[in-house]
Amino acid sequence: MVTIFIFILMPYICLGIFLLGVGMRFWLWIRTPVPLRIVTTPAPKTRYGMIWRLIGDLLWFPNLFKSDKLLWVAGLLFHLALWIVLLRHLRYFFFPVPKWVEEIQTLGLYTGYIIPLPLVFLLVRRLIIEQVLYISILGDYFALFLLLIITLTGILLQLFFRTYVIDVKALILALIHFQPQIPKVHWLFTVHFISVMALLIYFPLGKLMHAGGLLLSPTRYQRANFREPSVNPWDYPVSYNAENLSTPEKYAQTLSGTGGGGKE
Amino acid sequence: MRVPVPIPDIKIRASEHLRCHPSKAKDMVKIDLPKERLENWKEVMLKKMAEVLDKYRSVKLFLDICVKCGACADKCQFFLGTGDPKNMPVARADLLRKVYKRYFTLGGKVWGRVNEAGELNEAVLQEWFTYFYQCSECRRCSIFCPYGIDTAEITMAAREIMAAAGVATKYVTEVVAKVYDAGNNLGIWPAAWRYNCAFLEEDLKETEGVDIKFPVDEVGAEVLLIPPSADNFVNTNTMIGYAKMFHAAGISWTTSTYCNEGGNFGLFLNYTNLKKTNNRILEAARQLRVKKIYWGE
Repeated sequence: MVTIFIFILMPYICLGIFLLGVGMRFWLWIRTPVPLRIVTTPAPKTRYGMIWRLIGDLLWFPNLFKSDKLLWVAGLLFHLALWIVLLRHLRYFFFPVPKWVEEIQTLGLYTGYIIPLPLVFLLVRRLIIEQVLYISILGDYFALFLLLIITLTGILLQLFFRTYVIDVKALILALIHFQPQIPKVHWLFTVHFISVMALLIYFPLGKLMHAGGLLLSPTRYQRANFREPSVNPWDYPVSYNAENLSTPEKYAQTLSGTGGGGKE
Repeated sequence: MRVPVPIPDIKIRASEHLRCHPSKAKDMVKIDLPKERLENWKEVMLKKMAEVLDKYRSVKLFLDICVKCGACADKCQFFLGTGDPKNMPVARADLLRKVYKRYFTLGGKVWGRVNEAGELNEAVLQEWFTYFYQCSECRRCSIFCPYGIDTAEITMAAREIMAAAGVATKYVTEVVAKVYDAGNNLGIWPAAWRYNCAFLEEDLKETEGVDIKFPVDEVGAEVLLIPPSADNFVNTNTMIGYAKMFHAAGISWTTSTYCNEGGNFGLFLNYTNLKKTNNRILEAARQLRVKKIYWGE
């Protein structure tokens, strides 16, 4: 009964929550207007320049490099390794396996071994730097622990409790073709699988949405085109009240010499 | 040689006592805000917060995507100066973020403990009033944040929300009210402005023997000069410098008694007053029919 729930129902539910949640968050961001120019300078003036800056921000975190070198190394290492390992996992999703996925298998294998290092660094850093400890919330540790469990079980499954890869692939492919079945796998794999699903659920709920938020961040995607007109979609007219002494009407009177214009 | 600023140890509540004076009713009336804190301030603030979140993607996004990496922590001069942890940009934004999570996000409603959501109550409002006015909106943190999170946007949102319920500081509201009465932050009345300009003209004639004009409210001049109002009052050498420069270049210019201030304190209050203060520059230029605006400050 439990295994049916874990391997047959949960994957669909979690993926559904993940996709819906992420889509919802993006939609909520996109539909909110950006009324003012708030780009951080120096900023590129052209659209191409802006795209390059965004790509740079996504790939090698130049702002983080400016602020904290150690954190930059750890962050970059983690994110790069995560991408490579994720791409390596594509071999479970395709039949036959595409050539380029085959080619990154070895690289992905060794990258997988180092993934816990930056994670442990990030965790230790949260605990020993008092400023970071002060701002850390339970959600920060939760995400780190979840990722640590996922990566450590992954490594253990690779090194010591080797799972029969064909079983895993059969499980994933069956899920993809909507003919789910219960696989015979080591309990460590079940832990790995459950934590990934937990991460999928947590992703749209918490701070992990930073992944896509960067692309919509007004200070990063805007350009330094301040001389082009910009329109505030919700702009409204403003007016003065009876208490104000200096109003446009009174100033017009001053200029035409008919009095007014505040206290003389 | 550049000497790195030492990062201070955390001193909890170190700058809690450094609070601004609350606004006065006579100023609040002039800038269309409630005279004093409303009875139902909580409802008003939450309603305003919903409105702000719908109007500014920056606020919504920045509250959502912070990962608490701490890169901004030691970049804020208010934290470097006081050591109060709530002056770290991320912690300052957290004051608003907790309330946002509690009332506006599924993550905070479903899982308040993990996502650290918090009620809006008297203590939180007191913290808001203290720490959101210990930010100068310099945006230095946004340069160091990997996502470009700009705490100034969050500070401005929080101040706008507070202002809607009649919570603001005396300094800011007084200055904005003065702009609507006198045309500048210092409250120099039109007559005083004209007198000061005439005085500077005479002074220049006496000391340097040159005949340089300080035109005021001249319709049809080429350039409208928007100086900081202090230039007419204390930093008069700067004002003399403008006049000499225009004189030497042979450009006809004028100042306006409707708008003789480049600084905009509406920025520290809310959008309406920000726009109203800025519009004065355009209105003055329109009425004086100038071709260009030169903007000091």
